[in-house]
Amino acid sequence: MYSLELRDVVKRYSSGGEPVVALDHVDFAVSPGEFVAVVGPSGSGKSTLLNVLGLLDDPTDGQRLLNGTDVTNLSVAERTTARKESIGFVFQDFHLLPTLSAVENVALPTAFDPGDARDRAASLLDRFGLGDRLDHGPSELSGGQKQRVAIARSLINDPAVLLADEPTGNLDTETGSAILAEFERVKSEGVAVVAVTHDPLVEEYADRVVELTDGVVVGGVPAEADADVGGPGDDGVDDARRIRRSTASGDR
Amino acid sequence: MSDAGRSPRGADRSGWVRGWRPAVSMAARNLRRNRTRTVLAVLGVCIGVLAVAALGIFGNVLALGADDAIGDIGTQVVVSPNADAGVQSLSEADVTAIRRAVDDPSVGDPAVVPLYSDNAVVAGQSAQTFATVYGVSEPGLAFEAAEGELPERHRQGAIVGAGVAEELAVEPGDTVEIAGSQVRVVAVLAESQTFSPVAPDDAVFLPESAFAADGYAQALVVSESGATAQAAADAIREDVNAREERVDLFELAAVVDEINGFFDLLSTFLLGLGGISLVVAGVSILNVMLMSTVERRQEIGVMRAVGVTRRDVLRVLLAEAGLIGAAGAAAGTLLTVVLVAGLVASTPAVDASLVLDPTNGYYLLLALAFGVGVGIVSGAYPAWKAANERPVEALRS
Repeated sequence: MYSLELRDVVKRYSSGGEPVVALDHVDFAVSPGEFVAVVGPSGSGKSTLLNVLGLLDDPTDGQRLLNGTDVTNLSVAERTTARKESIGFVFQDFHLLPTLSAVENVALPTAFDPGDARDRAASLLDRFGLGDRLDHGPSELSGGQKQRVAIARSLINDPAVLLADEPTGNLDTETGSAILAEFERVKSEGVAVVAVTHDPLVEEYADRVVELTDGVVVGGVPAEADADVGGPGDDGVDDARRIRRSTASGDR
Repeated sequence: MSDAGRSPRGADRSGWVRGWRPAVSMAARNLRRNRTRTVLAVLGVCIGVLAVAALGIFGNVLALGADDAIGDIGTQVVVSPNADAGVQSLSEADVTAIRRAVDDPSVGDPAVVPLYSDNAVVAGQSAQTFATVYGVSEPGLAFEAAEGELPERHRQGAIVGAGVAEELAVEPGDTVEIAGSQVRVVAVLAESQTFSPVAPDDAVFLPESAFAADGYAQALVVSESGATAQAAADAIREDVNAREERVDLFELAAVVDEINGFFDLLSTFLLGLGGISLVVAGVSILNVMLMSTVERRQEIGVMRAVGVTRRDVLRVLLAEAGLIGAAGAAAGTLLTVVLVAGLVASTPAVDASLVLDPTNGYYLLLALAFGVGVGIVSGAYPAWKAANERPVEALRS
């Protein structure tokens, strides 16, 4: 089973006069523990693809599955919950809240939930080598450190998928490599990673490169063999995650 | 999970409270980010609250002061014989009829004090004056002593009105000469707050036995309040004047009602003036919150993207507006207290007891509540707008 899958997805915008087709019958899938890079020229629909994958935007047509569950048409509240529990986001501009410390930024997705996620956030930061920066504000961190905080934030809820939008776009090559090495660690824990990028460096680290041109995808679905590699073991991880999710979905 | 055992309702309520704590904490930090803007918005609310509280208290003090000054006007009914109908004086039977008419809990059981009346020259050691001399047996029911004590039954001596006492420079223990006979002064009355045909300030009260008249000149009906005085007057009109118009009634309760009505109107008008400035403060909060949510559009988009619910975003923004309102309201209330205290301290003409009247506290509370309310109401629209923006739109910039 794929972590995240799009089946024959179409996304049309009706901006002004004629509708623009941003995604044209796209089939896309990513397995647990797989790192997929999506490349393509500007305006090819990369951001739209990421928004649709990340449940920030709904497809006009087609089907979307998260851990095998159809999530094509969810209400706003259901989408928010699904994002919080199953999807992590990493942005080019890091997008940390300037008023929160590093550890608070990491815990932001769970800030309004019962229980204190601070310890978990701190141990995540520790894992990314920021154990001594817990109470620093974003303005006191370097670009690479900020992106590590952002990755830690995306992992606070044990997501199935990590979606990254130009994760190395604002970093120098050396820092970019370090961040990509972090992605490798994340994927080795069974998280599917999808990165939209212009950066050839990202392609080097990716297990699979998907090309997107004018809304048409080439190589969106892994070959059979690839899908089997991540098979039974990762499914076990997924099951555990699903159980945790069903117990955690409380009041909202 | 620890929530499992709780009733869904209880869990929901605790969740509701729990969600506000991080919201308020985040809101406070957001407000600290742009201090100048926050302080200006707080100042706006502060001035609005100050206006409402100060003008409210001002109106209330005016009303209380007027109430104090016109005092018992409305609580006395003066019953006189109706000369037009040939009645020259009130007989014992008339007084009994009056007593019977008002002997009813619904009119407050007022005291009925019949008075004999005459005029005489009253002389002290060094001066003399022309005064009304009343004969009364139970002066304590209608009057209050400033010096000496009013006897329960007036059997001997003279009770002197405040004005006469001052003019003749007498006090209890002195002797005055009334119509040629020496009488000891047993008490001096407190200055009258009452405006009525019976002017006790310029009168001297003797025991009934000093009069040889065969009827009372007047009867005072002393009620607790204006409303009961009016009821008493109505009861007397109905009962005593049932067959024949034997008595005339003099009462000012209706006038007092009108005066009170005027002061109510004045208070409302002043509160309205204050309210306008509070509305202006509300608009400034609206402006601040709109600006701030536009500036933080991306941040709010990120919060929504990483899974913070619309409700929680709404909470953070409402908490910001509420904090501005609460801070402004608290400052405005404090400032009002200081201002009013300063005014009382520097203006001897203002009676401190009027300002310290507990009803003024209501105006403070009212202004405080309005300040917080204005904050939340003005913050509602920007908060709702920001919380409902699609994260895709907010993140795109």
